Amino acid sequence: MSGVTSGRELRVGIMSFAHVHAATYARLLARWPGVEVRAADPGAASAPADESRGRELAASLGVGYADSYEELLAWKPDAVIVASENARHRSLVEAAAAAGAAVLCEKPLATTHEDALAMQSACDGAGVTLMTAYPVRFSPAFVRLREIVTAGGVGELLGATGTNNGQIPVGERAWFTDPELSGGGALVDHIVHVADLIDSLTGLRPLTVHAATNRILHADKSQVRAETGGLVTVGYEGGFILTIDCSWSQPDSAPNWGGLTLHVVGSTGIAEIDPFAHHVGGFTELGPSGLHLSYGVDTDELLLAAFLDGARRGHQPQPDGQAGIRTLAIVLAAQESARTGLVVDVV
Amino acid sequence: MKPSPLAVGLIGAGGITQAHVPAWIELGAQVTVFSHAGAAELAAEYGVSSVESLEDLLESCDIVDICTPTPTHRGYAEAALLAGKHIICEKPIALTRADADAVSALAEKVGRQAYPAHVVRFFPEYARAKSAVADGQIGTPAISRFSRVGEYPRWSAWFGDDRQSGGIVMDQMIHDLDIARWISGEVTDVYAVKSASAVGPAVTAQVILTHEGGALSYVSGVWGAPGTTFVTSFSIAGSHGVLRHDSRTDASIRLDGGTREKVGGTRPDISLGESPYLTQLREFANACAGGEPPRVSLDDGARAVELAEAANESIATGASVSVARRTAGIAA
Repeated sequence: MSGVTSGRELRVGIMSFAHVHAATYARLLARWPGVEVRAADPGAASAPADESRGRELAASLGVGYADSYEELLAWKPDAVIVASENARHRSLVEAAAAAGAAVLCEKPLATTHEDALAMQSACDGAGVTLMTAYPVRFSPAFVRLREIVTAGGVGELLGATGTNNGQIPVGERAWFTDPELSGGGALVDHIVHVADLIDSLTGLRPLTVHAATNRILHADKSQVRAETGGLVTVGYEGGFILTIDCSWSQPDSAPNWGGLTLHVVGSTGIAEIDPFAHHVGGFTELGPSGLHLSYGVDTDELLLAAFLDGARRGHQPQPDGQAGIRTLAIVLAAQESARTGLVVDVV
Repeated sequence: MKPSPLAVGLIGAGGITQAHVPAWIELGAQVTVFSHAGAAELAAEYGVSSVESLEDLLESCDIVDICTPTPTHRGYAEAALLAGKHIICEKPIALTRADADAVSALAEKVGRQAYPAHVVRFFPEYARAKSAVADGQIGTPAISRFSRVGEYPRWSAWFGDDRQSGGIVMDQMIHDLDIARWISGEVTDVYAVKSASAVGPAVTAQVILTHEGGALSYVSGVWGAPGTTFVTSFSIAGSHGVLRHDSRTDASIRLDGGTREKVGGTRPDISLGESPYLTQLREFANACAGGEPPRVSLDDGARAVELAEAANESIATGASVSVARRTAGIAA
């Protein structure tokens, strides 16, 4: 893997605006020093009319636009962010890799094990790096937690509980509730972040997964066709245990999207993080409900910084494609467990 | 004519009696203590009586309050019921559903009342959540989480012996297993995991309950390192809202330095309201005197034992356990 000659602008391509995070990345990159950004979003043509996509969205975000992926890749980007629908990552990652770009792929890396392996293989074959977009890894709270745990601050690790509860992602992008495109419901949406934090924190191999799901939350929303609530329990080598509440249980009326927490139990102590806790709270009579004014560190920005640095220097950034593959394996096992009622071995 | 005072015979002199004896005194009861050890000291501490034998205790009272290690519950319960007494029994009422059912059957046969001391139902935050759910304030419960963190029980050796206490699931998490069933209804399936054999004295376990109708509950328990602050929390997400509580953030007094007096600590802080133990014993005593049935029945206590047993079976086998199939298998 070769780096980019210092001094010249780094070319960053964004493939698809299907995922809402694409706009977040584009907005950050548009004002990033030393970076030139172009996006392509050919899927805009078939997207629902009320969704802001394509050239119009690129213009509002202040980034360049190409009419097709071919045109975007012919521009020879050094780095490419893939933000298509979850089930449509593979072909774009393969194309970006073939064009020689370092790749950052939105989470989940894929919706099937086969696709995830093929994406990693394509990047390896082309000599480019693959990074999975797990921004919570960059949360200062998690970085501190890892330092504490690594230094033996809570003793030997026994188990953990995590929550990743959010508002149901309907409205902004219709495909989120189409299992064919999203890969499922709350399981595929909200297992990966907590699972990745544990992967990074412990390095332990997951062995078994049990998942129980239901569709009681948002049962009144006709467009929802997958589980809205889930409890996922993972058994790791050495007896470490983890349960994740991945439910879309943040009410629509809540003033913030939701959050993520991790509670780690060790033999000599307990450590907890709430990476999205930083906010000023309050009330207003000018809006519908309470105020929740976040001021935490922007982890998306830190994620992009790691990705761009890797692309510039030709280094593999973390979390890499393998991290994405390992966490996807837990998601797929959880989906199988929820379907069969059985405890499933992780592939 | 002044009614004769309530006569309570208390068996045991361990930690929980420090909550029960003052509550009984507050209720105006005449308390007599019997225990293999510590009865005289406990009686002297609170100015109540003690006796040397179970027979003498049963002579002295109308209600027997069993506060002994779990394996002895059934024997004392049966002796008290056969002597015509109503009983209140600490949780878990037994280590097996079969033992719990035997006590239940005997109570029915002799026509005496028997209640399990699932005191968490009397902690106001749980009672408030239960009534809010029952009133439909958050719609249908979907996903609930209950967490209970405390230090590994070292105050009495039998807690740490899984054969006597049933371990963390049977002794500590049974509180929240009961609350989960109280709030989201009968349980069909149980899956549970527990951390590897205690490293130092610390253990954690996680239990997933599937309720009839599909609601899910998740109970997490920690017996942590010495000095671990006692913390309980819950979150109940329903079709139309969420209820949350955390004993740390919802405390009404916090203290930082300045005095040796401990605010919060390794036990639940119940100092700022009526003791839930008092609320509980009042409700049981009223029921024994012919009043309203209390909010928890002996059958609830037996079902909680059943859930803990199923969880321990799941931990042992690594598989999900069907509660109905398991119970049918035992009955067959």
